[in-house]
Amino acid sequence: MNSVLTDTLNRTQLYEWHKEHGDIVSFAGWAMPVRFSNIREEHMAVREAVGIFDVSNMLRMWIEGPDSIDFLQTVTTNNVRKLKINGGQYSTCLNENGGTFDDLMLYRIGEEEFIWVTNAANGAKIWAHLEEQAKKFDVKVTDKTKEIAMIAVQGPNALALLGKMSEKDMDEFGRFTCNPLTIAGYDTFLCRTGYTGEAGAEVLVLNCSFSEEGKERATGFWKEILAQGAEFDIKPCGLGARDSTRLEAGFVLYGHELDEETSPIEARIPYAVKFKVEPHYIGYDTVRSHKKEGVKKTRIGFVMIDRGIPREKYPILLNGSEIGMTTSGGISPISNKGIGMGYVPPDTVDVGDIIEIDIKGRHRRAEVTKWPFYDLEKYGETRTA
Amino acid sequence: MGDTEIKDELKYSAEHEWIKVEGDIAIIGITDHAQNALHEITFVEISEVGTVLKANDECGLVESMKASSDLFTPIGGEIVEVNTELEDAPEKINEDCYGEGWLFKIKPSNLEADLAALMDANAYKALIESE
Repeated sequence: MNSVLTDTLNRTQLYEWHKEHGDIVSFAGWAMPVRFSNIREEHMAVREAVGIFDVSNMLRMWIEGPDSIDFLQTVTTNNVRKLKINGGQYSTCLNENGGTFDDLMLYRIGEEEFIWVTNAANGAKIWAHLEEQAKKFDVKVTDKTKEIAMIAVQGPNALALLGKMSEKDMDEFGRFTCNPLTIAGYDTFLCRTGYTGEAGAEVLVLNCSFSEEGKERATGFWKEILAQGAEFDIKPCGLGARDSTRLEAGFVLYGHELDEETSPIEARIPYAVKFKVEPHYIGYDTVRSHKKEGVKKTRIGFVMIDRGIPREKYPILLNGSEIGMTTSGGISPISNKGIGMGYVPPDTVDVGDIIEIDIKGRHRRAEVTKWPFYDLEKYGETRTA
Repeated sequence: MGDTEIKDELKYSAEHEWIKVEGDIAIIGITDHAQNALHEITFVEISEVGTVLKANDECGLVESMKASSDLFTPIGGEIVEVNTELEDAPEKINEDCYGEGWLFKIKPSNLEADLAALMDANAYKALIESE
């Protein structure tokens, strides 16, 4: 891409390395690598070995102060009081109408200290929302995005690699935990979370500002993982594989499956939404009515039967009539079939039903399925084979 | 752009297709520049044999890992053959776009006029350098 465009985009601490080794694209105001080798190979490295992603473009905020729990319970939908120190929870942040401002990971690192990690695309909107809401509480919200690098290490070999690098038994760190950890001499928070469906972590590498020194530090950590990961068949991965792995895992992506017109109940992420909470969060009444009285639309997944690759915003048909619209689609590198997600009215289709996707005027059959779109015995964090 | 392959003997469309006339048939594919930009091609669909098209009519689509692109025929006429090998091996377009990765053959209905609207290798080279 031309330099006039990239000059106006934000760059992560790792930009120079990405530019040298990958293809750069514009994403949500950031110049990010879309691939380093090819998307399919990077995708399969995550499914079969280990891949690393630079996710330093995501917004990272520190929330501190005596009212931090009440404040967070006002703006997020999971049960903040149930979040233990060194724990993490997936949550959503809603508008007054119960539509979704954002989905996020919330980590608790102290009695009154939390980390909020959120989508790059929603950064400015969420920052403004929290700043406004925080006025009512004794709480401090600090944007630390440009002080910390964030690297996702994902795949069946990810924990063995991180164990070797930190000389720690990774069994100490269960899923959805967040602990300070020194990895190969670097101070980090090890967040045992991810967005691929595979085991692994998202590592917050501290003291990586956007100064030359910070960039060097972040790049040093990235190179160290690649060097130590060689024996684990590691690959650096770009945004292409990030999207294909999350789609295959059936995870929602903000701006596709989630937006301000869609509640987390409609998006079928009920684990992000709790009702026995105090105070009631913004949007509470709407999501409770969605839960109790039902929704007008619901998220489905599907696999193509006929040839064709679904993409977002393709009509979904049942018996020839349009019933909804796709929100994401692509090819599954594991099955080589087209897979996708979308919204239809509730109770119109069940798993196993045949629908049609209107792919640019061609009606192609697909089967409604559960997610993830892979065999849980062979792939994913809980694989047994 | 230095390593983009352009073949002197072919004609080119602004949609990054190449056209080769052999006897009374035109063979159509996508250029090296196009396959490079699309990267990993995962799926190709072309209108059926027997379909009659005017120049610039939509005639199928090419899917890569990241995006879907429509195909338009640069030459009007009747599709007489489609490269069915690409159904199972769409990556042939990445590997050999001017050879085994050809897309379809058309029996032209208005060849002279359609060819006149296309570019030669030099003009196409100038186009991609200006992009």
